[in-house]
Amino acid sequence: MRNIWIIARRDLRAQFNSPVAYVVIGGTMFLVGVLVFLIPHVGNAFMGNFWELDRASMDQMFLYLPPLMCLFVVPAVTMRTIAAERGSGTLELLITMPVRDSEVILGKFLASLSVVLILLAATLLYPIAMFVWPWNLGPLDWPTVWAGYLGCILFSSAAVAVGMMLSSLTESDVIAFFMTSATLSILYAIGWMASIIPGAAGDAVEFLSFQTRYQSFARGLIDTRAVLYFLSVATVCILVSFRSLESRKWS
Amino acid sequence: MSNDVMIYANDLSKSFGSFRALDKINFEVKRGEIVGFLGPNGAGKSTTMRILTCFISPTSGTVRVNGHDVFDAPLQVRESLGYLPQRAPLYLEMSVLEYLRFAAELRHLDPDTFRKRAKNVVEVCGLAQVLGREIRHLSHGYRQRVGLAQALIHDPPILILDEPTSDLDPNEKAEFLDYLKQIGQERTVMLSTHNLAEVEASCARAIIVSRGRIVADGPLDDIRAKSGRVRYVVSVQESPGSVGYRGRGEPPKKGEVESAFAAVTGVKKLGELPTDERAHAFELVSDREVDLRPDVFRLAADKGWVLLELHRDAQTLEDVFRSLTIGDERRNRQLGAPSDQADEDQDDGSDDSAQEPPRRGAHDRHEKTASDRS
Repeated sequence: MRNIWIIARRDLRAQFNSPVAYVVIGGTMFLVGVLVFLIPHVGNAFMGNFWELDRASMDQMFLYLPPLMCLFVVPAVTMRTIAAERGSGTLELLITMPVRDSEVILGKFLASLSVVLILLAATLLYPIAMFVWPWNLGPLDWPTVWAGYLGCILFSSAAVAVGMMLSSLTESDVIAFFMTSATLSILYAIGWMASIIPGAAGDAVEFLSFQTRYQSFARGLIDTRAVLYFLSVATVCILVSFRSLESRKWS
Repeated sequence: MSNDVMIYANDLSKSFGSFRALDKINFEVKRGEIVGFLGPNGAGKSTTMRILTCFISPTSGTVRVNGHDVFDAPLQVRESLGYLPQRAPLYLEMSVLEYLRFAAELRHLDPDTFRKRAKNVVEVCGLAQVLGREIRHLSHGYRQRVGLAQALIHDPPILILDEPTSDLDPNEKAEFLDYLKQIGQERTVMLSTHNLAEVEASCARAIIVSRGRIVADGPLDDIRAKSGRVRYVVSVQESPGSVGYRGRGEPPKKGEVESAFAAVTGVKKLGELPTDERAHAFELVSDREVDLRPDVFRLAADKGWVLLELHRDAQTLEDVFRSLTIGDERRNRQLGAPSDQADEDQDDGSDDSAQEPPRRGAHDRHEKTASDRS
């Protein structure tokens, strides 16, 4: 157990020692700010920005956060976890310390998840700035916001696990980045296709999609099936990463 | 198994797909031994070390380190050893002190012990001046020292070092080997290297591997004696040059000298050495028990030749190493050479003296670099 913390702490410090974590957090804050507050609505009535919505709600932020996470936050945070260590050979020194493979994987998972959680905590500044201080634009329905954050946390656990799994399958962080970005974007975007595809195939797509699972949280509902789904995806991906790390022994 | 056997490998094999990296190797290393692990590139040195450190698993065989089996108790195995992988892969964004602290934490050293041990290893590895520097700004020599410090931080009974001196300069190497001797008294050290001089300087015992098999294992003197050959260097004046010719009659032609020396009884092998125009130089090889020098001198005196040089070399470790692993080098140089043949002339070579290149000397090195380039 202790080893997990030691490894997680080292990885987290490494993330903040490189510019990646700052670029990701700063960049996302900037993009969320621009998308939520500045881009005017584009045809679709649903897509109006924060001001056009004319309600005390953070719905817009929870609409834009997951796609940004899929496209670049999670891939950038997880790309180095295992791929870079394998590529540079530091994995050999780490694993030949008296640590279990599972401790290495869990430590790295926690470190990456922490970066994403720090980002999510930073986005809290927006609702606070709008509805608490310095501005107080109206009574915000905080439970909905917390449900949205819970959704984001579960969503990012699953996404980080997917990213780490893909990172464990390659030696190049660039490949890991693009594979993760593509996989997560597809898992998210198929949600839009679910309504077009008829029959069982449509149901299957809806079952797999991160988007349909996430949407109930964004609306303020905590759906146990969705909770279970994200946690299962995270567990399976962590297990696959563990197996992939272990496979070095036999190849 | 006695308590003194720190590393024990029995019928250890490792295959990567259809490639057999290790083929049933057996060895034991006892407490207090410093063992040099030698072999050409790709012979299986790093593979063996990775198995000993439980980084990879053997395909078959038994390996015990400090009495713990690598399958059943990998954590105990790793606890009892310090490991420096090839080229010291460290986290570049950490400072030296941070890295050592990280290693100590994973080894569960408490802060007091860490301070004490760190002081010791920092002094021993000469890291005092770079403690606060990030590893990425250090030269390769210093990185190697940090890797060594990391392996020593928990004062392990066993040290496994994969090419620990490859990036050090000659002074650092000498220092390191001295230090190794010092710590090797109560510890077990296994180091791999290409550099035979290092083995001679620091190890009492060597294990030579070639193509996944152990071809020699024992005290250095025994290994040196293994080939049972002695080498002579003879040179005969060829032209007057600036000193003038003091022999009888005309200076001899090369063919004449060569065939005369080849006819001396006891000569197993004869090769020409490169020289300038003033001399013919040859390398003769005989069995260990015979001494060719009286016969060579008598021959030259009878013919009236001027003998410029005659000396007898004991086999160096390098000669033995080359003759034991020559199959490897041939295979590497000529892709797709039939491997059975390379196997056969690996250690005898008594019947093909004509084709076999001289084992040592500039002549052979020229040939090697030329073919490497092509």
